[in-house]
Amino acid sequence: MARYIVRRLIQAIPILIGISIIVFAIVHLAPGDPFDRFRSPKVSPQVIENLRRVYGLDQPLPVQFWKWFSTFWTFPWDPAAWGYSITDGLPVRDKIFERIPSTLQLMGTSLFLTIIIAIPVGILGAVKQYSLADKTIAVATTIGYALPTFWLGLILRQIFAQQLDLFPLFGKNTFGKEGDIPDLLWHLFLPVLTLTIVGVAGWSRYMRASMLEVLRADYIRTAKAKGLASSRVIFKHALRNALIPIVTLLGLTIPTLLAGAAITEAVFSWPGLGFLGVSAVTERDYPVVLAFAMIGGVMVIIGNLLADVLYAVVDPRIKY
Amino acid sequence: MESTQTTRLPGGAVPAVDEVDLTPVRTYWQLVRQRFVRHRLAVIAFFLMLILVAAAVLIPALSGNAWKETSLERINQPPSLGAPLGYDNLGINTFVRLMKGLQTSLFIGFSAVVVIVLIGVPFGAIAGYLGGWADNALMRMVDIVLSIPTFFLILMLVAFWGTGNAWVIIIAIGLTGWTTAARLVRGEFLSLREADFVQAGKALGASGRRIVTRHMIPSSLAPVVVAATLGIADSVVIEAALSFLGFGITPPEASLGNMLTKAQDYFYRDPLLAWYPGITLILVVLAASFLGDGLRDALDPRQRVETS
Amino acid sequence: MTQRGTDGGELLTVEGLRTHFFTQDGVVKAVDGVSFGIRHGETLGIVGESGCGKSITALSVMRLIERPGRIVEGSIRLAGRDLLAFSDEEMRDVRGNAISMIFQEPMTSLNPVFMCGDQIAEVISLHEGIPRREAGDRAVEMLGQVGIPDAKRRAREYPHQLSGGMRQRVMIAMALSTNPELLIADEPTTALDVTIQAQILELMKGLRERNRMAIMLITHDLGVIAEMADDVVVMYAGKVVEAAVVTTIFERPHHPYTRGLLASIPRMGQRRLRLEVIQGVVPNPLNLPSGCLFKRRCRYAMPVCDTPPPLQEIETGHLSRCWLTPTFEPPAVGVEPTPEAAEEAAAALSVGR
Repeated sequence: MARYIVRRLIQAIPILIGISIIVFAIVHLAPGDPFDRFRSPKVSPQVIENLRRVYGLDQPLPVQFWKWFSTFWTFPWDPAAWGYSITDGLPVRDKIFERIPSTLQLMGTSLFLTIIIAIPVGILGAVKQYSLADKTIAVATTIGYALPTFWLGLILRQIFAQQLDLFPLFGKNTFGKEGDIPDLLWHLFLPVLTLTIVGVAGWSRYMRASMLEVLRADYIRTAKAKGLASSRVIFKHALRNALIPIVTLLGLTIPTLLAGAAITEAVFSWPGLGFLGVSAVTERDYPVVLAFAMIGGVMVIIGNLLADVLYAVVDPRIKY
Repeated sequence: MESTQTTRLPGGAVPAVDEVDLTPVRTYWQLVRQRFVRHRLAVIAFFLMLILVAAAVLIPALSGNAWKETSLERINQPPSLGAPLGYDNLGINTFVRLMKGLQTSLFIGFSAVVVIVLIGVPFGAIAGYLGGWADNALMRMVDIVLSIPTFFLILMLVAFWGTGNAWVIIIAIGLTGWTTAARLVRGEFLSLREADFVQAGKALGASGRRIVTRHMIPSSLAPVVVAATLGIADSVVIEAALSFLGFGITPPEASLGNMLTKAQDYFYRDPLLAWYPGITLILVVLAASFLGDGLRDALDPRQRVETS
Repeated sequence: MTQRGTDGGELLTVEGLRTHFFTQDGVVKAVDGVSFGIRHGETLGIVGESGCGKSITALSVMRLIERPGRIVEGSIRLAGRDLLAFSDEEMRDVRGNAISMIFQEPMTSLNPVFMCGDQIAEVISLHEGIPRREAGDRAVEMLGQVGIPDAKRRAREYPHQLSGGMRQRVMIAMALSTNPELLIADEPTTALDVTIQAQILELMKGLRERNRMAIMLITHDLGVIAEMADDVVVMYAGKVVEAAVVTTIFERPHHPYTRGLLASIPRMGQRRLRLEVIQGVVPNPLNLPSGCLFKRRCRYAMPVCDTPPPLQEIETGHLSRCWLTPTFEPPAVGVEPTPEAAEEAAAALSVGR
């Protein structure tokens, strides 16, 4: 297994190089540059030229690429590893690290709630297939799954924050109350609700499908033939098998923990990583955009690896 | 009693005859249609999609430029016969604009799916047919594309290369979404390569290209059709999100997404504004999803995974 | 061989069992009026083609029939008590305990995520109230008894690590670990190689001797029947068409279907140009013919076959559902159908499902 992990990590290197090239190309080969908004008759071309030189934009592209790529990986100790933001001049690394906790709070809470609700719901739907409960759940999850996340966030915010004034309009804490947990939770409520509704709709369908497939298996018939009570059959024999794909999916969802909720963060002005990424794109803040894309890529690779490793852990049939 | 005549041999015995099985024989497509029709939801979805497409095509065609015609006198007017949803803050007929937005969104959604299929199918076919190192190399490319967070990638492409440009959006969604189709086709090809009917074709002297185009591609199309239909739902939502954030279709052009942006800004004047494009969007997603599910069951009942 | 009636000495008595499946396309009468009995320590073979209802019969005895199927009529008596009247709890007590069942596909019949020894220990622990540790030891012991070498190590392995034959041995060990009075074996050797088949059958014979166990053996393989069975029941399209002691079935088969089955087995030393076949196919359960279900494929079909034949006693202890006399003549003119047959005919002709 350790050998497998090492092998995968080595295989990841060309992928990372590929990602970096593609992302770099998209950003730098695009028409226009980040300083377009500064251009006006009042600003002399020399100033723009200096700015470009400071950010190294006057160098040939391959040189720029190499500079960026080689210093990228020094980030654990070098705050300048990811360059400086064009928007506010701060080190990109610090800007990103600063936002990570907020995003984790949002995504982590949502994921946690989603899982603990979706799994029982999925099991219920599968065990009581075709019953009224199942049909209701099926309808609810289908609609929930079809809801665009950002629209749901918008509506919830409109109803509960704007109209009913029950929850705050934006941000993660009221000014002056940083570090106050109840205040944080109050701000967290609506965005987490948005993500959880859509999340539960998706995950419970998955769980139900997985459970249904397992319940059809021969070994479930054997378990019943042994005289086991149905609760034992369901929660021990069936569930253990049905959770395997869920666990794998969990691994694949890890990458989204950092960047997945960009739009929801935007709707609620939640100061997270996703919102930072979107803002950076709006402002053409290239260093931030590049760093964000790379982090996303790294997370995806780690997530895939994690999913495969978890799969081997929970399914004794898998051996690497 | 059955309507078969039984002939008898001398002595009263009946010669052994084949069983008369009265179930009629059907062609593949008849069976597909039969299975599809059994899913009431899929049939409803089909008609819903038809209605949506018809509305998106006809209403803008019939009303011409009404969707962007501003008018000072009609600002914020309540609903009336010609304007079931009233007029917005610029005096534009909301309903007509909604339909125009639907048209844009559907156009982008469908086109993006076409791009996905055009890129993904040949990609997967080549990878699956050639196997070996070609397959490896091509799948590495798939991994690379998949490793970049999809929405962010699309965002970058659209923002930097063409905000507000429908074609850029279409290509961006296509360039990031082809991977699923490619994987499906590759998977089918890999297994079909060893399939008996392919070996038979080779034995009969058919050339590689003939085998691929005449035999293998049709067999692998079923999952692609399903993925494409479901892909419409995803594409439409992505476009809406892009437009909502201000990168996709921008005003004065109409899109379901940018109508939502306006709804956010003008909430206090008209709280319902967010619901019209939202519901429309949801209807498109539901229609495409159920249609996709129905097609999946109809085209390959073996694949049946009950998700709803 | 007892067919109906008294429970005298019988372990299992099934009478008039009807298990129907209520599908979207119509009612499938998978088991339609089946009766048989098994005495202690005796092996009953149930033979028939796929789809004839033999597996459903077994599952009905275990009351493992699920929607859209249902046992609509009949009685299943185990040592005098009607299983159909048992509560769920009482039935669970019976399963894996008094009656154990093994299935056809050992690969998919064992849970892939639990170790073999644990799966055996589970049933021991459940029915005998023994703590897990001790049950685990008993499980290892059982594995040894079914002929698995290095049992202690194997007990800690997963099903996918064992070969097909070994997995079936594990299933047998699991079934026998609680010393059941009746073992239901549904095609236990069909999925195995021929050489392994022989080993498994030997194993079953040995265990049967030792435990004085009755076996309900379901198979389509007449060779297995010849090896193992004391009595035989032949099923076709949900009904019993012939029943007798095993020697009688092989020496003096009566029902044309049974005769066809036996005739189609090629024998050593026979010189033939063509193999014997039974013409036609099994009838579509949603479109059953009226009258005798076999008549469309039967070389002896006569006008009287439009009336469903009752189960007749051809000779002592030998029943056959056919109008033919014991000497294979058409029945005498003017014979009245029995009230039972008349009733069946009326039911078959009536409209409405």
